Amino acid sequence: MTHDELQDHYELYAIGVAGEPERDEIREHLARGCEVCMKEMNRARELTALLGSAAAPAEPSRKLRRRILASVGFEQRGFGWSPVLAGAATLALAAAVYFGGREREFAEDAVRLRDQVRRQTIELTRLSEAFAIISGPSTTEAAFGQGPKGKVYVDPQRGVLLIASNLPPAPAGKIYEMWVIPKGGKPVPAGLFQSEPTGAALHVQPGPVVADANIVAVTVEPESGSQQPTSAPFMVATLQ
Amino acid sequence: MLLPLILAIIASGGERELIERLQRRDPQALAELYDRYGRIVYSLILRVVRDGGIAEDLVQETFLRVWNRVQGFDSEKGAIGPWLLAVARNRAIDYLRSAGGRERNALEFEETDHPALYSDMEHDLLISDKARRVKAAMAKLSPNQRQVIELAYFEGLSQTEMAERMGEPLGTVKTWVRTALKNLRDDLGAVVPA
Repeated sequence: MTHDELQDHYELYAIGVAGEPERDEIREHLARGCEVCMKEMNRARELTALLGSAAAPAEPSRKLRRRILASVGFEQRGFGWSPVLAGAATLALAAAVYFGGREREFAEDAVRLRDQVRRQTIELTRLSEAFAIISGPSTTEAAFGQGPKGKVYVDPQRGVLLIASNLPPAPAGKIYEMWVIPKGGKPVPAGLFQSEPTGAALHVQPGPVVADANIVAVTVEPESGSQQPTSAPFMVATLQ
Repeated sequence: MLLPLILAIIASGGERELIERLQRRDPQALAELYDRYGRIVYSLILRVVRDGGIAEDLVQETFLRVWNRVQGFDSEKGAIGPWLLAVARNRAIDYLRSAGGRERNALEFEETDHPALYSDMEHDLLISDKARRVKAAMAKLSPNQRQVIELAYFEGLSQTEMAERMGEPLGTVKTWVRTALKNLRDDLGAVVPA
């Protein structure tokens, strides 16, 4: 394949969507140090980087910067200026702006902390329910897996716990629904859940479990949930 | 909002020094990197995933990935902005594909954001006026040409996947892609020498 024939494929290769046979051809040229291809790829990467910078401008929340720096163990307020520039900037800013900003910042912090406490309380309750189910004397467990993998724990009095990995978030407008199926009976709804972007999921359905529970299954359902499954289960765990 | 950006650029004393400080694990350098590119990275990721909360999570992952991989970056020749955008795009498309239940071509994307690939580029490519020129060039494309470029770049679709999505013959899609890229190259000729 000539370089002219490859001309329209360098950008596609640069963003990982080139088709065959062009992808293999470019890869082979690059592997043997083809200077034309290397130059073309450099040009293509510049063009694709510029395309990325052309997305409609949007502003992230002010908390994001602090969050990113905290995640590498660096707590900081302000813009991270050098001391000299920070001093100059401080002189340039009026005290009223400073005090107004502080007040707003404290109010934002209070809202953020309240929200954090609320979320942590919910999470703590959920985890203590999960722990109670796992450690229950009459708890049975069963594994499932082929793609999404994990375990279910069923305590007849305390409820059902599902822990899964490798489970992509349900598509837009859909949600995962867990079902407990008794021997010879119909599936009983056991709560809706969504997985994390990392593919992890932890779902607790607290409370007494239907008698003779034999199978725990999960289906994809409309966002509002269903009373009976509307799709085939993709996770099935049979209890011992 | 421009003040922190301008001050960050002045204070950093250039991109080479910024990269070297990142390589020495100076967290202040990460702060400056964010001040310089955080908004562009967020805008790109938001365009792909269309959800502010998810976009912020992915921006955080992007900066952490760069923080953890910057040792492999060439501070002499490397252009960190284009690399950062490649990482951001890959994180966002990887999320989009996994959320949509589509096959994840992780290896293929992995190849596109290796730090060694982003050398011999103009350092200030993304904060020059060239982004504006790209926007103008995109605006001049026909709707179909613009759509195929956006599907490839912002959704990570191959030409075959685009043909399926658009319900058009593969040959037609290929023609739109070819013409769109040619027009972009022609319009940006002074920026991106062929």
